[in-house]
Amino acid sequence: MKKYQIIFPFLLIIVFLAACQGDAAQVVEEIAPTVEAAVEEVAPTVEAAVEEVAPTVEAAVEEITGDEAAITLETIIPEPGMALDMVLLPKFLGILVFDQANEGAQEAAAELENPQELQFLGPTPENSVAGQIDIVTTAATQGMNAIMISNNAGDQIVPAAQAAKEAGMTVVTWDSPIPSAEGEDVFIAQVDFDETGKVMADMALSIMGDEGGEFAVLSASPDASNQNAWIAALEEVLAEDDTYASLELVDIVYGNDQSEDSYNQALALVDKYPDLKLIMAPTTVGIAAAAKAMQDEGLCDEVKVSGLGLPAEMVSYTLNDCAPEFALWSFVDLGYLTYYTTYMLANGDIEGVEGESFNAGRMGDYTIEKDPTRDEGLRVLMGPFTVYTADNVEAAAE
Amino acid sequence: MSNRLRRLVSWEGFLLVLLLVTVFINSSIAPAYLSVENWVNIFQLSIEKIIVALAMTFIIINAEIDLSVASVMGLSAAVLAFLHLAGAPMAGAVIIALLVGLICGLFNGFWISFVGIPSLVVTLATLIMFRGGARILLEDRSIGDFPEWFNRLGQDALLGPFPLGIVLFVLFVVLVVIVLQYSGFGRYVYVIGNSSNVARYSGIKVRRVKILLFTLSGFVAAVAGVLFAARLGAVRGDTALGFELDIITMVLLGGVSIFGGSGSIYGVLLSILIVLNLRNGMSLVNLTGHLQTGVIGILLILSVLIPNIAGYARRAWEKRRYAQQIRETAV
Repeated sequence: MKKYQIIFPFLLIIVFLAACQGDAAQVVEEIAPTVEAAVEEVAPTVEAAVEEVAPTVEAAVEEITGDEAAITLETIIPEPGMALDMVLLPKFLGILVFDQANEGAQEAAAELENPQELQFLGPTPENSVAGQIDIVTTAATQGMNAIMISNNAGDQIVPAAQAAKEAGMTVVTWDSPIPSAEGEDVFIAQVDFDETGKVMADMALSIMGDEGGEFAVLSASPDASNQNAWIAALEEVLAEDDTYASLELVDIVYGNDQSEDSYNQALALVDKYPDLKLIMAPTTVGIAAAAKAMQDEGLCDEVKVSGLGLPAEMVSYTLNDCAPEFALWSFVDLGYLTYYTTYMLANGDIEGVEGESFNAGRMGDYTIEKDPTRDEGLRVLMGPFTVYTADNVEAAAE
Repeated sequence: MSNRLRRLVSWEGFLLVLLLVTVFINSSIAPAYLSVENWVNIFQLSIEKIIVALAMTFIIINAEIDLSVASVMGLSAAVLAFLHLAGAPMAGAVIIALLVGLICGLFNGFWISFVGIPSLVVTLATLIMFRGGARILLEDRSIGDFPEWFNRLGQDALLGPFPLGIVLFVLFVVLVVIVLQYSGFGRYVYVIGNSSNVARYSGIKVRRVKILLFTLSGFVAAVAGVLFAARLGAVRGDTALGFELDIITMVLLGGVSIFGGSGSIYGVLLSILIVLNLRNGMSLVNLTGHLQTGVIGILLILSVLIPNIAGYARRAWEKRRYAQQIRETAV
């Protein structure tokens, strides 16, 4: 019994090492002809398609410019029908806005006639950071063509994203970028991050009135780089613009985009700052939880709630004046634009360099530009903001 | 004795079959599964947990539990990040972080073995306490910007295709197999797990064994915490939050009895391989999130149910045979 017991773990290790070495080479050998065949098969179709499209495009350009010599394509049009395996990775599952983004991306996938199904994969909330890294790493192993990340892992995602790029994948971020921009091709920015600070300050001023007062920020997680950038922009606007001199930002707390956490943090803020007049939550989970907390405790007359929210979730709080004013953009559009951009990057329509312009279906033309909020990054700016009040929230909620 | 041995062998046999089935299904549905790169990833993505699971095996065989391991991981990583932020040299910060883990383990061990408070209570308290410490140190910040060499240790290949974590894991496995199955100390751990009183009357220094085990558990957790910081390149107050459940799951699925005294390191190794491969297989066919957690949960329930059902069936069968024998002799 004992004699073979000691051999067991070593044997296991040796067998596995041997197995992986041999099989990997074998897999590559096995796959190679298939891949070559597939490339050969596709090549004529692609060429034909290009030939087919070329005259039309040229004609269109001629029509626009009226000058045959100037065939510099200003705006690049995507080439539909390419088979690309793509993954849409939200911060985590179970958040309405991410489902909406998926809806938009699926719409774009249908328009671009990608025969491969778009995978919407996300971690569970309590495992967001490690889960995102896991999914990015696995996608590279699977040989996926592209991944679209709403980054919740700060720069912790960088090694995994870089490995994915080295494996030949297109890595696009949306909603929340990689702060250092390492391992990322381009970021699809929902709105201008500096503008977000001003929009929040304007809403705060409009709700609190000219006499101003104390307000606090209830954010998502400390690693959420979008929220962090917006809060930084808000602080900058408050410090630099005299219009907002009466507004005093007293605290920043984090509810981790969990309803219960955010609810408790909102109540803790009220206890801690008796003169608090407003809670500003730049996250759809936080704003709804804070508004519910104020409503449940009957505090809506003293403490208002504002920030970034979904009309469907906020309509009752806006109508009962707990959250008289909030803002957002369309997540469906964000998903749609993200898919278009990623698709074009992955099939080589665009290279992902500064100054490139491309056409994103029903949303029109966009240009890749330097991201002013990050030193190294590139972005595609979507915009604009919609500010919701009692006047327009009901229509938007439907 | 031979009965128990047979039960163990059959349990490990069952795990081995389960593992082979998982490997077979994975390799048939996902072509990328059998690449070296994927196998490195399989281990690397959970490397901290499986290292701590090895130490946890000792604790549970010894009829104790250490719920505080994930908090020790978090605290030592937080200490590391805090010292780095304060400008301490990285190598020094690593050593202090490891010492902190050692002291955390010693603290647990003291209350358990010398004051006699049940380990469930002590480590539940320190789970909260050490996590609190991590959160106080780092507040809501995420601290990164570690030196390049430190991040490399966590992320890049060190020996062939294997990063430091995997090399450490293999070394630990060899060490654990030798100590647990072939040393006097290993036998003490089993005897104490079976009956602490019998062990004491046999002259085993029960307290000393227990405090040593908990100190080692703390130290190993700290090693895992530092590795985790290097792999992710950043630390937060909630780093490694909730890892203790995954770790204990792996050990129990490996056939180690929660009441102590039985189980083997081979079973735990097999269960680690099963859990990792199952997760990887599910990821490769794009099943993520709650579904994965659910499947692992079902597996754990089965791991408790199947031996019980098997035992019940065996007893029923033996009873019948015995009754038959009586009838035959009566005739």
